[in-house]
Amino acid sequence: MLTTFQMQALLTAAVWTAGLSLIAFVLGGAVGLLIAVMRVSANRVLRGIAFTYIQIVQGTPLLVMMMLAFFGLSILGFDLTPFAAASFAMVIYSSAYFGEIWRGGILAVPKTQWEAAECLALHPVQRFWLVIIPQGLRISTPPTVGFMVQIVKNTSLASVIGVAELTYTSKLINNSTFQPFIIFSVVAVLYFCMCYPLAWWSRKLEDKLNVAHR
Amino acid sequence: MTIRNLTLAALTAVGLAAALPAGADTLSDIRDRGTINIGVDIGQAPFGMVDGSMNQTGSDVDTARKLAEDLGVKLNVVSVAPANRIPFLLTGKVDVVVASFSITEERKKQVDFSKPYAVSEVVVATTGGLELSGPADLEGRQIAVTRASTNDTLITDAIAANDVKATIVRYDDNAMTTNAVLSGQHDVYVVAQSLLVPINEANPSRKIEPQFVLRTYPLAIGLRKNEPELKDWLDNWVDENLANGKLNEIYQTYHLSPLPDVIPEE
Repeated sequence: MLTTFQMQALLTAAVWTAGLSLIAFVLGGAVGLLIAVMRVSANRVLRGIAFTYIQIVQGTPLLVMMMLAFFGLSILGFDLTPFAAASFAMVIYSSAYFGEIWRGGILAVPKTQWEAAECLALHPVQRFWLVIIPQGLRISTPPTVGFMVQIVKNTSLASVIGVAELTYTSKLINNSTFQPFIIFSVVAVLYFCMCYPLAWWSRKLEDKLNVAHR
Repeated sequence: MTIRNLTLAALTAVGLAAALPAGADTLSDIRDRGTINIGVDIGQAPFGMVDGSMNQTGSDVDTARKLAEDLGVKLNVVSVAPANRIPFLLTGKVDVVVASFSITEERKKQVDFSKPYAVSEVVVATTGGLELSGPADLEGRQIAVTRASTNDTLITDAIAANDVKATIVRYDDNAMTTNAVLSGQHDVYVVAQSLLVPINEANPSRKIEPQFVLRTYPLAIGLRKNEPELKDWLDNWVDENLANGKLNEIYQTYHLSPLPDVIPEE
């Protein structure tokens, strides 16, 4: 069985997993919103930059990004801690996906909404931020939260560069105790406890935001 | 997992060329800093592991502690894994590695080694009473091994040399490989003999029994190339602590058997 110390270590590791996920949600979300806006911008250069960014990030495995952030950046003279490197990789990774998800949401807003906003004499920026973005994000809620669940699970890849998150700590304990079934069952439950509330929240949001079709 | 191998190889190559100026004096840096960063694989029982209170323990951990103490500096243990020991070293994230790191010709091209301070005996072991007397008996079998370890190289070569048709299944770390063997997915396991001590203690119902020895490897402290001061200091330290029995004492505590009288140089 697990000792109290091992259980504590797993719970502490779960906090690191949650922290890494939160960083990816918040900072990745902020960068992602910028990418989404650039992606639907009228400016061809901005569109091109966002498109290239998304293609490169989506075409690179997260594992490789983690190692590039940790070993690669230190070769270039930026000596990041494992957690900083993992956060950096997670933000890059999640921003590209958020950007693409939200771009889809924005484009799914009917054209008549643009036209209606124009009729109300709204400035183009007001049209975009007050009319289109709120509706676009609403349409994107289910895939966004679905991807957030992915982010939580993908933080486990940070274990390869030695971030003491849940997967790393469970492997560490298992490497010493050789009782995989107990440890990994506990870990599966901990991941579930983090992911299930997100799925539940997603359903609540869908119900709440879907006023028009109720 | 090829992508990871490629990335590590590429990064290591770049690291070799660009990471650190040649002929740096890490020994003075360590003394100035008052701390030594030692890479230890704490997922490699009984060399490095955590006890029930989550404290780091094992023969490499004790060796690292003794080394830092004798150098008169504080110890910072950095956790490394078999596949990333060399990148950690080459990118300057650790000063040295004491991580069940065996001396091989391939590794010598990238890093330097101190004199050997311990050994690792690689054996072919089995579960369920399967008896094997040599590589020829492996015909048609599935063999579990930890990727990027010397165990992997050894069994791959042994199979090729004996023209045996067997499938080698590679896992990321010892725990994964051990899980696969304990859960009955494979019954042949290429592993360091000393690892079987804690495994069999934890799982008395499915004992893994050593069948034959593939090779006895010397383990040494890994350091970056062109560090003559540090290498001299480490070599003297190893000689001294082998002579006074300190290193043997540490080894005996965790491996339940003494070091051989003469440690092979390679």
